[in-house]
Amino acid sequence: MFWSVIAANKRKTVLLIVLMGFFLISSGSMIGMALADAQHPYAAGLIGAAAAGAVWVVMLLVSLFASDSVLLGLTHAREVTRDMYPQLINVVEEMVIAGSLPHMPRIFVVDDPSPNAFAVGKSPEKSCICVTAGLLALCDRDELQGVVAHEIGHIMNRDVLYMTVAATMLGSILFISDMFVRSFRYTSTTRLASRSRRAGGGAAGPLLIVSLLLAIIGPILARVLYFSISRRREYLADATSARLTRYPEGLASALEKIGQSPVMLSAAPSAVAPFYTVNPYRQHISSGAFATHPPLSERIQILRAMSHGAGYTDYLKAYARVTRRRRALLPPADLTERGKVDIRQASRDGCSAPATRAESLRRARDIIRALNDFAFITCACGLRIKVAPEYPKDRIACPRCSRVHSVQRSGAAAVGSVLSASSAMGAPAAARVVCPDQGGGHPSERAVQEARFVPGRWQKIACEICGHGYEISPRFSGKRLVCSGCGAVIRFSRAAGQGGGSSDISA
Amino acid sequence: MSAGTIVFIFLAVIAVAVLIYVVGAYNALVILRNQIKNAWSQIEVQLKRRHDLIPNLVEVAKGYMSHERQTLEAVTQARAKAAGAKSVSDISRAETALSGAIGQFLAVVENYPDLKANQNFLALQEELTTTENRIAFARQAYNDQVLFLNNKVEMFPSNIVAGMFGFRKGQFFELEEQSERAAPRVSFG
Repeated sequence: MFWSVIAANKRKTVLLIVLMGFFLISSGSMIGMALADAQHPYAAGLIGAAAAGAVWVVMLLVSLFASDSVLLGLTHAREVTRDMYPQLINVVEEMVIAGSLPHMPRIFVVDDPSPNAFAVGKSPEKSCICVTAGLLALCDRDELQGVVAHEIGHIMNRDVLYMTVAATMLGSILFISDMFVRSFRYTSTTRLASRSRRAGGGAAGPLLIVSLLLAIIGPILARVLYFSISRRREYLADATSARLTRYPEGLASALEKIGQSPVMLSAAPSAVAPFYTVNPYRQHISSGAFATHPPLSERIQILRAMSHGAGYTDYLKAYARVTRRRRALLPPADLTERGKVDIRQASRDGCSAPATRAESLRRARDIIRALNDFAFITCACGLRIKVAPEYPKDRIACPRCSRVHSVQRSGAAAVGSVLSASSAMGAPAAARVVCPDQGGGHPSERAVQEARFVPGRWQKIACEICGHGYEISPRFSGKRLVCSGCGAVIRFSRAAGQGGGSSDISA
Repeated sequence: MSAGTIVFIFLAVIAVAVLIYVVGAYNALVILRNQIKNAWSQIEVQLKRRHDLIPNLVEVAKGYMSHERQTLEAVTQARAKAAGAKSVSDISRAETALSGAIGQFLAVVENYPDLKANQNFLALQEELTTTENRIAFARQAYNDQVLFLNNKVEMFPSNIVAGMFGFRKGQFFELEEQSERAAPRVSFG
């Protein structure tokens, strides 16, 4: 638990409530004055303020006492029992034990094919965890555990309190400004015209402009405030997840699967978006002020870079290494961790997959590569990096977890290691980066990397030199990409069809 | 005010400060000890759960794997031994053995596709997995608390308070590393 985060969440919740009250009452009185007759502007302003105050009180009560049912209702979630989803309930109970939560949260499932999850509730005693049916279908036990632990992390750090209040506030601000715009539209033609004639357009004009501005700026402000705060929480919830499950790879591969899933969440109102583990609106993935979630590839890389342990300190180290940010995620005083937290083994189910045709094809290609003096590096995250003999540097960063390896040329001896290497490593096709023949003809020192592009799905590519991650849209049609981090060129070879893709040998 | 009074007030202030510290430290130690008790009872609940699960598991498996009497008996015996253990160190030893026996059993199950397809067995296996996880997580929580208490009991100045009121170091619940590693890794395709 991060005490400073918990305290900050509580403090911010109070601040938000007060600010919203101030904003609502002032804009209510403005609107009242703008719409009223010119004879009694102040009385009308008072009425407006009172109405806004009433709205504020109602909002407050709703957000503190009924927000979970409202939010769960918005997403059409239904509560589930042990008979229906034994594994889900078991996983949640495990995480409750691991996090020493005082109570078991209520568990909900949304019938939505898109994989995602969220948590609501104002305190750990009264919290709910909600997952989609798509998540249950897509993830194995360890991955589900990682996602559930992420949500438990939000509950433990009291993120859900702040987010619940913020979501309700945001919703009602949108509602009020919408009402105002509508009432303005209806009255503008008749009453407003007559009033301005009577008042000579003196007092009503500026007021009208101010209230309009409020109506326009309010929602935008609310959104910026709401979105800019939730990114650090996502990292911290990831850290908690790794610590609770002691298996960062679970959440990492769940996030990877979620990121690759082509299905978008259908029943997600925008006010609920920041609650989800992964932003349901995929097209908004960006690092601007409006992004509620950090880039998925970065979160995955951080989790996979945790090779020494699953504790908070390990996560913070990995975070610093992957993001290269100076500012620490947490004040050092918050790290009350004692001793080392070891990473556990993968659980029994789902750790082996039968060798498919694609698998054997890949192995055959690897043998050819090995004969051509490619260097093979097996990274601790499970990816096998294949380095072409022409690769100019003697160090290489893993495209999946950004660990840096030194490149050693082993010559034909590599063939044997390829033959004997376990095929269960399961390096996904999208992450395979091969550095092809570049020769000396290229201007400057620009390194060229080759990546396979499979049309029709999202995929994540990382620059192998600086580790900068990219999410490539299924509609991406270009042939190359210049890395904005280091200027290296990433070239894409297109995989023909679904099982094909032999083009990368000849490249 | 004479010099004596000043010295007296000074000493009184120090005495009160010390008293406040002792009370605080004592209460912190009591809270920790209770948390440890609580964490331990959580472990016991989960161990009991595992013990209750095993007869069912053996019952379901019996019909399918009549040739594996030994494996099944090993599990049953390990369970009986674990159920009889009393002290923390006995329990850790017996439970380690039980984990090993279960691991062996699950490895053998690999050879019985019919059993693996049995709905009852699948449900039991999920229960077994979750119970093992719960034991691991409860153990982690317990050991964290024990480490915290031990630090308090050993470190200055809280060790003085701990010594005065007879707080002793807690015992870690270890499942022996070696046998954990020796447990075969089983894959269910």
